[in-house]
Amino acid sequence: SAEPARAMEDHVFSWCNLCPWRCGVIVRRDDNGRIARLEGNPDHPQNEGLLCSRGHAGVMDVYNQDRIKQPLLRDGPRGSDRWRPVSWDEALDLIGERLRAVRDEHGPQGISVLAHSYWKKPYHRLAQALGTPNFIDSVWAMCLGPRMLSYELVAGRPLTGIETLDVRRTRYFLIFGRNLAESFLNGEVRDWMRALADGAKSVYVDPRHTITADRSHEWLPIRPLTDHALVLALIHTVIEEELYDSAFVEDYCTGLDELRERVAGYTPEWAAEETDIDAADIRRIAREMAEAAPAVLAYAPRRMARTRNDVGLGVAIAVLNSLFGVWDRHGGIFRPQRLEIPEPDLPEFPESAAEPIDGTGVPDRYPLANPQFGLASTFWSALAAQDPYPVKAMIAAGNNAMKNTGFPGVVRRAIDQLDLFVATDIQPNETNRLADVILPEPSALERYDDLQEGWGYRGWIAVRMPGMEALHDTRDPWRICQGIAAQLGLEDYFPHGSVRELIEDRLEKAGYDFEALAEKGVITTEADPAHNFPREHGASSRFDTPSGKVELVPSRLVEHGLDDALDYRREVERGGGELHFLFGRVSFHTHTRTQNNPWLAGFMEENPLWIHEETASERGIVDGDTVEVIDSRGCREVFHARVTARIRRDAVYTAHGYGRDDPRLSVAHGRGGSATTFASPDIDPTSGAAAMLRGLVHVRRIEPSEGVS
Amino acid sequence: MSRDYIMLADTTRCIDCKACVVACRAEWDVPLGHSRDWVASAETRTEQGQPQLHFFPGRCQHCDEAPCIDACPTGAVFKRQDGLVLLEPALCSGCELCVPACPYGARWLDPRTGVVDSCTFCQPLIDAGRQPACVASCPTDALLFGDAADPDSEVARRLEEDGDWFTLSTDEVDCKPRHYYRTGDREVPEAMLPEPPDPYWTQRASESLVNPLAKLGIGGMAALFAVAGAKRFLDRRRGIAEQEPSGEKQATPRGGDDE
Repeated sequence: SAEPARAMEDHVFSWCNLCPWRCGVIVRRDDNGRIARLEGNPDHPQNEGLLCSRGHAGVMDVYNQDRIKQPLLRDGPRGSDRWRPVSWDEALDLIGERLRAVRDEHGPQGISVLAHSYWKKPYHRLAQALGTPNFIDSVWAMCLGPRMLSYELVAGRPLTGIETLDVRRTRYFLIFGRNLAESFLNGEVRDWMRALADGAKSVYVDPRHTITADRSHEWLPIRPLTDHALVLALIHTVIEEELYDSAFVEDYCTGLDELRERVAGYTPEWAAEETDIDAADIRRIAREMAEAAPAVLAYAPRRMARTRNDVGLGVAIAVLNSLFGVWDRHGGIFRPQRLEIPEPDLPEFPESAAEPIDGTGVPDRYPLANPQFGLASTFWSALAAQDPYPVKAMIAAGNNAMKNTGFPGVVRRAIDQLDLFVATDIQPNETNRLADVILPEPSALERYDDLQEGWGYRGWIAVRMPGMEALHDTRDPWRICQGIAAQLGLEDYFPHGSVRELIEDRLEKAGYDFEALAEKGVITTEADPAHNFPREHGASSRFDTPSGKVELVPSRLVEHGLDDALDYRREVERGGGELHFLFGRVSFHTHTRTQNNPWLAGFMEENPLWIHEETASERGIVDGDTVEVIDSRGCREVFHARVTARIRRDAVYTAHGYGRDDPRLSVAHGRGGSATTFASPDIDPTSGAAAMLRGLVHVRRIEPSEGVS
Repeated sequence: MSRDYIMLADTTRCIDCKACVVACRAEWDVPLGHSRDWVASAETRTEQGQPQLHFFPGRCQHCDEAPCIDACPTGAVFKRQDGLVLLEPALCSGCELCVPACPYGARWLDPRTGVVDSCTFCQPLIDAGRQPACVASCPTDALLFGDAADPDSEVARRLEEDGDWFTLSTDEVDCKPRHYYRTGDREVPEAMLPEPPDPYWTQRASESLVNPLAKLGIGGMAALFAVAGAKRFLDRRRGIAEQEPSGEKQATPRGGDDE
């Protein structure tokens, strides 16, 4: 097991694993050398000393009694919760035997590997060493893909999960459902609040009155799924009234005339019908934004896996920002610095003989999807159908597709036909419950990891060191992948004896030494505002698109015949009595990973169903009533009603991550209802990303006794 | 020069993220089911009918006329010169008379120690020159802590600049808190204001035979206790600590589950 760094005495550095923002932390130890608590690392550029509720509760990731404590083999039918503890050798031998059989019969593409952003690297390397194209990181298709793709199409700058927005200096925010105050990223919310305190204006667009809405100057309760119409009308207004940055458009953009034609019909009056937002307000906002430009941001939703045309919305937002000339300007979008550290020398990876089953990069399927991530949306149906070819083994790290997709039935069928399902994780969840083998990882605070490489105003790297010896019989993901690779004769791809050796190897190539990194936990580049904001310093902007310019009508969309995404299309029509089903985040939970943390669970024992007071009254529902939610597929969940004015009459809302049915989660089990039960299973045809917010439901009051299923 | 510690909570900047609450739990190992701090919330409507949210981060208000001090029969609760309301654990009998005396609900009996606990403004941290854990973790600068006697301090500057700070006090309950709030242009919801303490408990506390002895001060109290049955209190506390099971169901305490 990993050797704790005793030289650091009472603390080591790490970074938080409880959300994708990954703040730097100082791990404080007690007199017995055990982890006592976490503090934000003031030198880490991501959080500068801050730590949110989840971050502080990261300690309970270590001490949680429900952790997976040794390798387990399934010892009964899938989902029967009958497990046999085994040694690592026995587990790896069995995994090796079955993987070899699958590879012999179906080729390396018969093995799929799934991992998520926080700790995907060793698993990605394992997939590359195998030569399978079926590697999936769910973050693209289930969350940020369309947003990242849109900026790439328009400006050649794929803004990722950590966007390079100069929020601190922005003077005007137009926020599309980006719930900054609750879908919580420390540095982002800090900078937004500081900008507001300095007099910036914030206009928030959402069917729901979130805390972000409350802290904004205006809340525009838009009709669900019509954001694209609003942005198109803003673009229309900006062009017709010539509110755009004409010098920037002249020097840096292509396609203004074509864009003008495409948006000609999207008048504010048209959009008012569609969105429920006054035409006069739309015009006023366009003018106010122009007034504040270029320190202005049309803020895209964080999770853009909502509708069947989130690429259309994403492109429109990128275009609106570009018309205001925000690129490389204060208060706009800046150019990040990076600190490049070479990867270790490895044997060349084999070429994959097959196309990925999810259709990523495949012409006529999803040519614009990103092969670094794959499509966690279409992957599962392809796996369930064994189409276009059989995939019979899956290694999944920290995945919970049973609770984070709108199609758990498909996920279950996909898993049922596997010859081998290996799940690695630190804690139980509804998906690893179905595995053949569970391999336990140490929590983030008990292990080394490869360098954290970040970007922003400065480029930086950070170190993760174990705060103490691992509590349980766990292995870090590098060692797990190394063990699996060895079973397949691929050990040369994992040449380092430990993660510490891997880090030292990489640092040495870059001319750094480990001790220097371990001193403050981070190494950063020098601040260089001229690099971040070239157009504030007399230099030019560069855009890595096919034309080298900002493409107001993206050529790659046109080239693939997908430019109908630029046009508005209606999402769903509500039938009589139906309500839109919305779900989202609360600041003290992440995805489905934190509901079992005892320090966080108490803030919301269960997730209530928000329903507007008039909608409730029509159904005879009063606050606190037990209500049944049911959709046209017959999917059903039971909630307690929260009757409120904080949501439109045509929608209901609840928080994601509740309704957990894995009995191994002793804190979270049985509390509330699952939001993803009503997430639509649809796919955005342009990107292949999920379209989860198209769900429609009926809600009725029931007796509490009927709530028991 | 004497310090004059105060806490400011700018509710216009609080987003109810709970970072302060978990930071405090982590810092002081506060047992589940209890907390030294909280974020109280209320929902109202504007005149235009729009919903409006109110978040009031709270904790012991370190009142200058603290009812908990008056209620304490053993003199365990005391006021430090810099304004902090603290408790001397060796003197606390765990009688809990101070608990209902607090109009802010800030006090509770720690079941592990048998001693009453509450926010100390992170006294050990601030004495070491650091910020309280809640303040250090606040991402929106809603919480500010410092020495109001130092005109260069952030709290002094903000008190002066904003000019609209108030304490959570009413005509009935005003014990001179050292914790200030501001709400910008929003009204303070009634639910945020303190309730008068239960008169039964207040009366019982003031009638207590032991209470006058508190006026002797801590040193005097300790000396008296040594003669007059302090052992009984200390034994009781130890007993409670020993009764506490080592492995709570929902939370594995640090140093617990080590298999």
